[in-house]
Amino acid sequence: MNTKRKTSDMLVATAQPATTTDGVSLQVSGLKLSLGGKNILRDISFSLREHGINILIGPSGAGKSTLLRCLNQLHADWQGEMLIMNHHARQWPGGTDALRHQMGLIAQKPAVFPCSIEKNVTFGLSSRERKHPPAGLIERVLRQAVLWDEVKDRLHESAAILSIGQQQRLCIARALALSPSMLLLDEPTASLDPRSKQLIEASLSQLAETMPLLCVTHDIEQAQRLGGQIIFMCDGRIIEIASADTFFTRPERLEAREFLRWSTCDCS
Amino acid sequence: MKLSPFFHVNNRIAKTVTVLLAIPALLLPAACLLYILFKGIPALHWDMLAGTASAVSFGAIGSLWPQVAGSLLLMLGACMIAAPVALGIALFHALCASARQQRMLLSLLHLLQGIPPIVYGLCGLIVLVHMLHWGICLLTGAIILAVIILPMLVLNTVHAIDRIPLERTEAARALGMRDGQIVRRVWLPAAWPSLLTGLLLGMARALSETAPILFTATVFSGINWPDSLFSPVTSLQTHIFYLAQEGANAQAVNIAWASAVILVALVTTFSISASALRKIRVGG
Ligand SMILES: Nc1ncnc2c1ncn2[C@@H]1O[C@H](COP(=O)(O)OP(=O)(O)O)[C@@H](O)[C@H]1O
Ligand SMILES: [Mg+2]
Repeated sequence: MNTKRKTSDMLVATAQPATTTDGVSLQVSGLKLSLGGKNILRDISFSLREHGINILIGPSGAGKSTLLRCLNQLHADWQGEMLIMNHHARQWPGGTDALRHQMGLIAQKPAVFPCSIEKNVTFGLSSRERKHPPAGLIERVLRQAVLWDEVKDRLHESAAILSIGQQQRLCIARALALSPSMLLLDEPTASLDPRSKQLIEASLSQLAETMPLLCVTHDIEQAQRLGGQIIFMCDGRIIEIASADTFFTRPERLEAREFLRWSTCDCS
Repeated sequence: MKLSPFFHVNNRIAKTVTVLLAIPALLLPAACLLYILFKGIPALHWDMLAGTASAVSFGAIGSLWPQVAGSLLLMLGACMIAAPVALGIALFHALCASARQQRMLLSLLHLLQGIPPIVYGLCGLIVLVHMLHWGICLLTGAIILAVIILPMLVLNTVHAIDRIPLERTEAARALGMRDGQIVRRVWLPAAWPSLLTGLLLGMARALSETAPILFTATVFSGINWPDSLFSPVTSLQTHIFYLAQEGANAQAVNIAWASAVILVALVTTFSISASALRKIRVGG
């Protein structure tokens, strides 16, 4: 039954490469999600261009993590429209699991697997690629995640002995090994030491030149450092979308001004 | 802060009372064990394990090897049936069941755990022995023992899976891994020491159950090695039961003690391996 559905999905997906918007990697319109009878996300619409940093900012409980989980399809029962690389998310060739390779999700709390650093990097690959990783893949993604220099001599050691900051960078490398078309990061530097924070921000700025990043943070200073497009969310809604310059100097909405001042706001 | 001298006195009294209360609780099983060893070890003879069973005196003399083999066969059979079923039920619990189904499943398992084993024996007698005409045999006994250890194995597996950090499972799912891959590559590597511990405890339990196999799987004597799954067996547990009834026959009672020592040794081996494994798990 499953395979049947997938083949038909593939047909549909190849048959109608939906609205062709050039230079846009992700387009979400009218996304809604309720969990346990509560509306968590209401009418979310935004788009990500083919590269660059996008900051998802807002007070805690705004639904930022939930939105990222919807994009990675960890919450599958959202309503609305989601176009990824001009394909409908629901009709992705190869199904949800294949789509998840494209939407590299990095959780707030790093979760490494209890095996070697090298095995962690290749964890999401197919069994054939795990046995014979493509040449240079491990080094390339570890370099992209600014971790290579710290671990190059001990790739076979357990990943559990790394510091939390190193583990977080390992998680970024692990997602990159699947050659995703975008990265979704959920407060990647919350509760990390300043050095790891700095390295991760450097890595993100570099990655943003090749792919779109959607990075959640509630740290206003970090958002200012990273720049790019700011998506300000509160109470399950997008309140304001603006470039970093505009948002931090002349925010349009009252809620945004309140948030910039107090790091919290009342939108309900 | 300086504690009042009364506190120290009270503390000492409380300690003494606790120790005094704990002594009988420890002493009783220890005394039982010592008595079994005291009576059983002199009764043990090498030819009990090596020689062949004698038909003389209803098997009350001669080798105990058939009984040991029967007990172990019943135990292995029970585990081979129960372990995959338990894993299947636990995976259903973790992957497919709704929150309500999970609650119902757990309460059902706790309920099943409380049912006296003899009741399962009776059900086995009616359904397997009589209705299906399997007769008194190894397979019947193994299935009944499997049903008895199943709730414990399932609960152990469910808890082992629950202890795996949710973040790790979600990280695997976010990498595009399917349920089957997550089970194989994330859950089983993390949970196997717990699963093995549970299995060893299940083995110890299957070795010590006597009543449910008494009238469904075992005969008193005359079987050296069952020639099929549908052949009855002899077992250490039931052997002790039969021999102990021959209170007047000193030889029979002697062999009962010897059987008890062997049984205790087997059960202890499995229990100690289980707790050793648990230490490894806590340590690692
Ligand atoms: N599985 C869930 N079931 C019900 N409510 C949830 C669930 N997950 C999150 N929520 C609720 O959704 C809201 C948004 O949560 P979250 O996305 O984690 O916020 P943020 O990441 O912006 O701090 C919160 O009010 C939270 O209680
Ligand atoms: Mg969050």
